[in-house]
Amino acid sequence: MPQEFKLILKHLDNPGYTPDIECYLRHGGYDALKKALAIQPKDLPDGKKASPQEQIRDDVKLSGLRGRGGAGFSCGLKWSFVDRRSGKPIYLICNADESEPGTFKDRQIIHKDPHQLIEGMIVSCFANDVKLAYIYIRGEMPKGAKLLNAALKEARAKNFLGKNILGSGYDLEIHVHRGAGAYICGEETGLIESLEGKRPYPRIKPPYFPAVLGLYMCPTIVNNVETLCNVKHIVTMGGPEFAKLGTPNNTGTRIVSLSGQVKRPGYYEIEVGKATIGQLINDPAFGGGLLDGRKLKAVIPGGSSSKVLKAGEKFKLKRKIEGKDVEVETDMLDLPYDFDSLQQAGTMSGSSAIIVIDDSVDIVGALANLSEFYAHESCGQCTPCREGSLWMSKTLHRLTHGEGRKQDADYLVKIADNIPGGKTICAFGEACSWPVQSFVAKFKDEFVAKGAADEERRAKEKVQPKIATPAERKELTTAH
Amino acid sequence: MLQVNINGQPRQFPEGLTINQALRQIAVEVPTLCHDDRLQPYGSCRLCTVEVKGVNGLVTACNTQLRDGMEILTHSDTVQGVRKTLLGLIAKDYPVEAVAQFPDKQFHRYLREYNVKAGGSRKSPPPAVPYMKDTTHPYINVDMSQCVTCFRCVRICEEVQGQFVWKAWNRGDQTRIGPVRGETLQDGGCVSCGACVDTCPSGALEDLTLLLRGVPTDWTKTICSYCGTGCEVNVGTRNGQITTIRPSMEGPSNHGHACVKGRYAFDYVTAKDRPLSPMIRRDGQWQKVSWSEVNQFIADKLREAAAKHGPDSIGVLSSARGTNEENYVAQKFARVVLGTNNIDCCARVCHSPTAAAMKMTLGTGAATNSLDDIALARTILVAGVNPTEGHPVTGARIKQAARHGAKLIIVDPREIELCEFATLHLQLHAGTNVVLFNAIGAAIIEAGLVDQEFIRTRLTEYMEYCEFIKQFAPEQAEKICGVPAAKIREAARLYATNKPSLSVHGLGMTEHIQGTEGIMALVNLALITGNIGKPGSGINPLRGQNNVQGAPHMGSEPKLLAGYVPLTEARGRFEAAWQVPIPTNPGINMIEMMEAADTGKLKVLWSIGYDIVMTNPNMHFTRRAMEKLDLVIVQDIFINETAKEFGDVFLPAASSFEKDGTFMNGERRIQRVRQALPPEGEARSDWEIVCDIAKLMGKGEHFAYKSAEEIWNEVRSLWPEAAGISYARLDKLGGLQWPCLDENDPGTGTLHTDRFTHGKTTALRRIEYVAPPKLTTKEFPFLLTTGRNLYQYNAATQTARTPNDSIHSTDYLQLSSADAAHLGLANGEIVRLRSEQGSADLPVKISDTVKDGEVYTTFHSTRVFLNQITTSHRDRYTKTPEYKITAVRIEKLEPVASS
Repeated sequence: MPQEFKLILKHLDNPGYTPDIECYLRHGGYDALKKALAIQPKDLPDGKKASPQEQIRDDVKLSGLRGRGGAGFSCGLKWSFVDRRSGKPIYLICNADESEPGTFKDRQIIHKDPHQLIEGMIVSCFANDVKLAYIYIRGEMPKGAKLLNAALKEARAKNFLGKNILGSGYDLEIHVHRGAGAYICGEETGLIESLEGKRPYPRIKPPYFPAVLGLYMCPTIVNNVETLCNVKHIVTMGGPEFAKLGTPNNTGTRIVSLSGQVKRPGYYEIEVGKATIGQLINDPAFGGGLLDGRKLKAVIPGGSSSKVLKAGEKFKLKRKIEGKDVEVETDMLDLPYDFDSLQQAGTMSGSSAIIVIDDSVDIVGALANLSEFYAHESCGQCTPCREGSLWMSKTLHRLTHGEGRKQDADYLVKIADNIPGGKTICAFGEACSWPVQSFVAKFKDEFVAKGAADEERRAKEKVQPKIATPAERKELTTAH
Repeated sequence: MLQVNINGQPRQFPEGLTINQALRQIAVEVPTLCHDDRLQPYGSCRLCTVEVKGVNGLVTACNTQLRDGMEILTHSDTVQGVRKTLLGLIAKDYPVEAVAQFPDKQFHRYLREYNVKAGGSRKSPPPAVPYMKDTTHPYINVDMSQCVTCFRCVRICEEVQGQFVWKAWNRGDQTRIGPVRGETLQDGGCVSCGACVDTCPSGALEDLTLLLRGVPTDWTKTICSYCGTGCEVNVGTRNGQITTIRPSMEGPSNHGHACVKGRYAFDYVTAKDRPLSPMIRRDGQWQKVSWSEVNQFIADKLREAAAKHGPDSIGVLSSARGTNEENYVAQKFARVVLGTNNIDCCARVCHSPTAAAMKMTLGTGAATNSLDDIALARTILVAGVNPTEGHPVTGARIKQAARHGAKLIIVDPREIELCEFATLHLQLHAGTNVVLFNAIGAAIIEAGLVDQEFIRTRLTEYMEYCEFIKQFAPEQAEKICGVPAAKIREAARLYATNKPSLSVHGLGMTEHIQGTEGIMALVNLALITGNIGKPGSGINPLRGQNNVQGAPHMGSEPKLLAGYVPLTEARGRFEAAWQVPIPTNPGINMIEMMEAADTGKLKVLWSIGYDIVMTNPNMHFTRRAMEKLDLVIVQDIFINETAKEFGDVFLPAASSFEKDGTFMNGERRIQRVRQALPPEGEARSDWEIVCDIAKLMGKGEHFAYKSAEEIWNEVRSLWPEAAGISYARLDKLGGLQWPCLDENDPGTGTLHTDRFTHGKTTALRRIEYVAPPKLTTKEFPFLLTTGRNLYQYNAATQTARTPNDSIHSTDYLQLSSADAAHLGLANGEIVRLRSEQGSADLPVKISDTVKDGEVYTTFHSTRVFLNQITTSHRDRYTKTPEYKITAVRIEKLEPVASS
């Protein structure tokens, strides 16, 4: 029976656990920082010395930690890209702009255990010679910002931050910056622009890779809240020990946000890959099954932008059995919840937010809802996303308001196919088109039927399809 | 070299190109809406995406570096399909009428090539979030219903002009481009440089003149006729009319940028009051006459005057607005035909002190470096010049340098626009330049920040300079110039250590009694820190007029011959070439000519393209002197104030759009002026007019030029440093900087690299401070300083006849809010400004860019005649007037009771 494995969530929901520093210290808080600062330079076989910073970075590499924000990129590798010879300061930014629909894990940490994040950040900053770091927190979390600021103040008072931290000679300051309510600020280069005081237009890559030309054109590391918390545990446990958690190449734990029509929606921390989607939905330790009398229709496995999985879908998963590569046919419910298996199933674990959709849900309406969100959040910088996201939303609006056409399903796919794949500046293009592509591909009959029904009804009533007026378009995109 | 395969063809390219740049080298065009060579790659339109083998997904050609071994498909079905879809999405609401009206606009051409129909109409109701429209600007029409959201206007305003007028509002499909504040462009702080219009690919932004007069049918590449930056422009004409002027991307001094004057202020050419035929004033009335009649009249009168009063009773003023060729012909006329050295030009009232000081100290009286060096400098010293108004394109480049990390030190009594971008503003008391620069020198030496190697190998009298300069310790200097000692030291540290340091300066340096000496004090700083002879360094006067560097260089100077050589040295060489003796009497300069007129020694004045009355200081004196002349010949494109009040003969000259020749800009660059229009009416080139009169006076064989090029060839045969600059090379290569010794010489960007023009070493000058004689008194408690405004140009002969005049229609008296409160003055109130010389009435503009006790104005307006009050003090060396300091009082005018 899979169980929760609480590494990051270990204390925060325990009765009596408070977000203040004294409580954190009572639970072993800042021991990882003390340990990190006490690391001595190590002799290497080739006669060179590994600095304490290099040792931590190596540990993070050995831990196999992958980014918890959405892309699942190796954290150690990301850190290794940082230009350390530019002579410019290196910045670290904690991406706390948790905005992906369905995702509510980082806010638990921020609200209930802010010092865990701060300690993770200090250790990560130390490992990367960062003297100034920022927490970019979503504008809709004012309380979180307040808590973080209070926690930073406490940390400063205890000299975990500021000048000459704990007598080590290392200086670090961390500032909290609140966003202003734009989803695109979660994109790291958009976030950086926003932090610089500009419109959050994502930057083109090349040349603006944050590791080289990031904040104020200096090398910059942008990591997710949960990722940074993990660094604290890597320092505590050691990289190889951390790598034993989870499954190969999918190490450590993940906090899964589970929502939709399950009995026990919520957030659950698991060892990566040690539970399947089906277990997360149905197991009494997790979702506890669908609401009574409902049947599973689909699952969005990794935040709203990940491709949908249809109930009953089967995938060929590559597995190593007795040293041999074999392909195993796997039902979508039996997909281990990790990075690689979901990728093999054509989707992603993304921000590890599972949205369960049962048979009571109108799939066209669900997609219309998602699409509206993305059309509203497109920043408007590059053509395909600015124009394409609106046209998809407009078409879906038509389909859900009795103005559909049979060919709308194909039309949606045509637009969606012209957005992702290097055609946009940032991954928002993918985020807005993947749901459309996958929903229509997997539930095409429902889309066609809806359009056909509308056409039939209109033929009976002898009315022409109405083109949305500009006023309606405004209503459409400002509905939130 | 990189080996690349493009569309199946193996190709080679040098390293460092983007895919787009490489494609353009081999004339493969991928559509780009957001790309402009003047801007950083942006990658937002996504039209330039191409397929690169082995890369997952498409890549944008504009921002992706070309790499060895790339296999690129630029027009595969996939990318063509993407482009068509994107164009369709952009064009879905785009007005179809616009496409029909201007089919050759970049965006419209793409629609045609990709067979995409615009889906909107100008008749469609406006969208819920409306598009910006602005029809209030005198030059720019804004209709954002044609916006394709490429952000080029936003970016060019930021990245080239540095003005930040445009902004993207809202997000997603409701993204709208509009001014950063207010409703109109001008609310947003627009300086009307036209860069956004020039880059706009769709016509959302368009020149009004082009909308009214149509798309040009002909384009002529020439040089702007305003300031000394020397911007290369393309003049678009249709039916003999200018419809638009666009900056040239190849322009070596402007790189595709222009300002409101060069870009838009051209309609003076066809102004209603432009005189179209020669005129003689008889019985107080101007009478139109033929060229033959006027020429004979002038020839007779000149002969008569010379016979009666001697040749030195005649003076000729040539024009820094005219071409090099015209200036050369004018001075040759004075010397060969009239037999006098009384030839001067308007450099006298601006940078003569610079030329003199730099000639003395460095051997060449011109900028040591190039305008491109602004981008190379790490420290830029901006002394007594307001480039964002006077030299806007150079000003924009300085802003960009600051935005990219260069440190600016501003030396100016006023808080000029560049102060916003500056590290230090040394707000000295007007007229204390020598003290301040000596103090900076003292601080450099005190801190041991000199360039020892440069001093050892290139300088003499260093020890004497050190000894002398001690008296100017910053604390001492602070008492006189008003700049805190700490700031002086900080400036010294920056200039001497954050190298290369480049200096630009203007008339705030020269128009003082110690103008020439102030420049020498500045040159000393460059010398002791080794900031000379290296890229990104040097002393660089920003010259005020299109050819003010060239005019005296052609010998329109009483003491100099072509090539800026002293008459005393080069007499033999020129006499041999001209085959006539050059008069031995020393000539007199413009200021001395006015004095000679006043004392009755000068009888005849021929003024070419210079408005003496309007421009010279102390207008009352000027008028008194002018009145005494027997004959005043005015040769200009307009009846200027001089002609109006004192002219006896008027000769209609061709404007620079109507003739051929060359200009020399402030960085020693000779550039071709080309005829874009036939001259209006009977107007003719200055050189043609002068040559004809020379023929009538019996010297035809010396003036038998058939073209401007023939004149230029004579110039370069006499001026070795320009020998390599032929018209053929200028046409092929664009402008060339002298020295350019032969036809293989690429020209010289940086002077004095390993020796000075006059020798290996030069001596440091010890410049004593002489306090300006006229400081404020109880009677005249305010110090007036003068300057230029962006929209007007000097005496405003041209700009006042264009819509620029509607943007800046009068001179304003700027004074601090404290002074205004003290005097009880409100914005716009008309006051009388009075000095010992006279008075002028003008409106008040309260602005704390001036210090308490100092006031500032411009002198463009013929409604104000500001020069009625400026002083008669002169530079001690060159006689350049001290326009920059006049003691004045401000009189409140009592409202006249209406009956």
